Amino acid sequence: MGAEAMMTIRILIIAAALVSQGCGLIIDAVQFIRPMAADELESICARKTLHAGIAAEPLRPFVFPAIFTDEGLRITGLDVDLVREISRALSERCGVSVNVIVHLVHFPSLFVELSEQKIDLFVSAVASNVPSPTRAGFAYSIPYFYGGGLAIITQRPEIADRIRERVRAGPDHANHLAAQKAALYDFLIAVQKGSGSHRYAEAQLHMDRVVLCDSLPAAFESEDPSIDIILGKLPVLQHMVSRVRKNWQLVTFEGGKPFLLTSENYSVVMAEENYRLRWFVNDVLFELEQSGRLAKMRRRWLEDDYAYPRRAAAEGLSFAPDNMPRQHDQGTCRAATAR
Amino acid sequence: MNPIPSILLSISFGGLLLAGTIAYADMPVLEAQETARLLALLLDSGREVVKRNQELIDNPRKGHKGFTPDEFERQLVEEFHRRSDIDLANNSSTALSTNTRKLLNVLVQAGKAVVSDAQAVINQRGVGYKNFVPATFGSQAAWRFSAKSEVRLKQTTLNPRNVKNQPDAYEEQVLRSLIGRSDRSAISDVVDNGGALRLLTPIYYSKDCLQCHGQPVGELDISGYPKEGALEGDLAGAISVRIPLREK
Repeated sequence: MGAEAMMTIRILIIAAALVSQGCGLIIDAVQFIRPMAADELESICARKTLHAGIAAEPLRPFVFPAIFTDEGLRITGLDVDLVREISRALSERCGVSVNVIVHLVHFPSLFVELSEQKIDLFVSAVASNVPSPTRAGFAYSIPYFYGGGLAIITQRPEIADRIRERVRAGPDHANHLAAQKAALYDFLIAVQKGSGSHRYAEAQLHMDRVVLCDSLPAAFESEDPSIDIILGKLPVLQHMVSRVRKNWQLVTFEGGKPFLLTSENYSVVMAEENYRLRWFVNDVLFELEQSGRLAKMRRRWLEDDYAYPRRAAAEGLSFAPDNMPRQHDQGTCRAATAR
Repeated sequence: MNPIPSILLSISFGGLLLAGTIAYADMPVLEAQETARLLALLLDSGREVVKRNQELIDNPRKGHKGFTPDEFERQLVEEFHRRSDIDLANNSSTALSTNTRKLLNVLVQAGKAVVSDAQAVINQRGVGYKNFVPATFGSQAAWRFSAKSEVRLKQTTLNPRNVKNQPDAYEEQVLRSLIGRSDRSAISDVVDNGGALRLLTPIYYSKDCLQCHGQPVGELDISGYPKEGALEGDLAGAISVRIPLREK
């Protein structure tokens, strides 16, 4: 081999080395932005921990208020059961026991914690079909609860009567939904801040008649401003008026059909880019649905007669006091247009 | 074998056989007995403090309740002082042994830690019943204390709501003997061939307890458990203490 050929080979070797080093740099840069050691599922398996967010505001029967038991702090409800099912399936998938660390945070903060990757997912009766720019970047599992929707409750029977009468007599009676919206025009309506009802109000109602409440209990107790109706999730409102706030009533049409403004399905919320985790959670929910267990879980929480403290003591998920607001307050209500 | 401990051991067991109340330990039986009595009294004082603050704790209209760990300690020390004439706030006020004082302090700290953990639940506004009651406080405080000492402290009853409070054979025997007994004092025995001292201090239902444990029997109480159908003054259970007497 001549000297010229040798030189060519040397140049090629040096070039190859430089190129491969460059590749290394590119790979390093990518790894810096997003570690390639594992996807989100592998990451959960590696740390043997699932960080699950749950709303600190009770959304009975999906999330009951946190209580104290013989075993310490516990949280329970249908959504808590789902978190346990997901962690059980993760344990099988990972081949090691995956523990759940519950992050009990205020509802609007769930989205923030997920954005900041402090939690892997959250479950708190979140409707997957709420169009809002504030929901960009989040993705939803297949529904675990169907047939929800925004409903209305009131403490005053005359208001329920007036709404019914307006819908019946309104000029828009052929367009039922438009008639329903129009029937609410002069009522002071309470919605929970950051929830689907808030997003609905922003998009569909006159905000000068809307009162923003930090939580549902705050709406129930609001005296200044004194609200006429509460707009919220049908199954939550049904549970509240039938078991907790019996002096309130669901606004219904003749025959008992609830006055609904939307249709909602509830899903587990995850980061948009976490495709593998989303497939995994979808599989878990699909299997639960197919086996009939999910329907049984729904019946158990939504229809059975029970007292949640006993269930919390027997089967609730524990959480560390540091993972809950130190002083959870139901908050207050104020006019949506107030600065 | 070093002959000295052997001699001590045989003397101690000889004493045990003769008197039935002496065992080989750093803490003599009488001191262990007094320590056990005081530990049970202190735990029951903590239960009483929680009971006294129940209305405040379950007030749904109030956020921060002011029932802080320090406030709990203040009330606990006061209640214990009232019941035992021992002022835990004043180290030099009584002739408690170092061991006893140390154990009582561990229990005070355990109780404070329970109240500290429960702050988030206690201070929820908009939520009434929070299940932070004498029984749940007592279970957690006893468990935390037992984890930090060699002394085992437990609440027990013949038909417990929590299976972890199921009585063992000794506790069951004593609990049965306590039913219908007019003497409300504690019962203690040296067991395990002098290896441990056991003491059970009975707890009786007061009027406040009957809201959950009273009548009609079988009706579900606020926490979802069937009521026991108890009457005021009935035996509710006992605080059980087990102190090892033998050096390890």
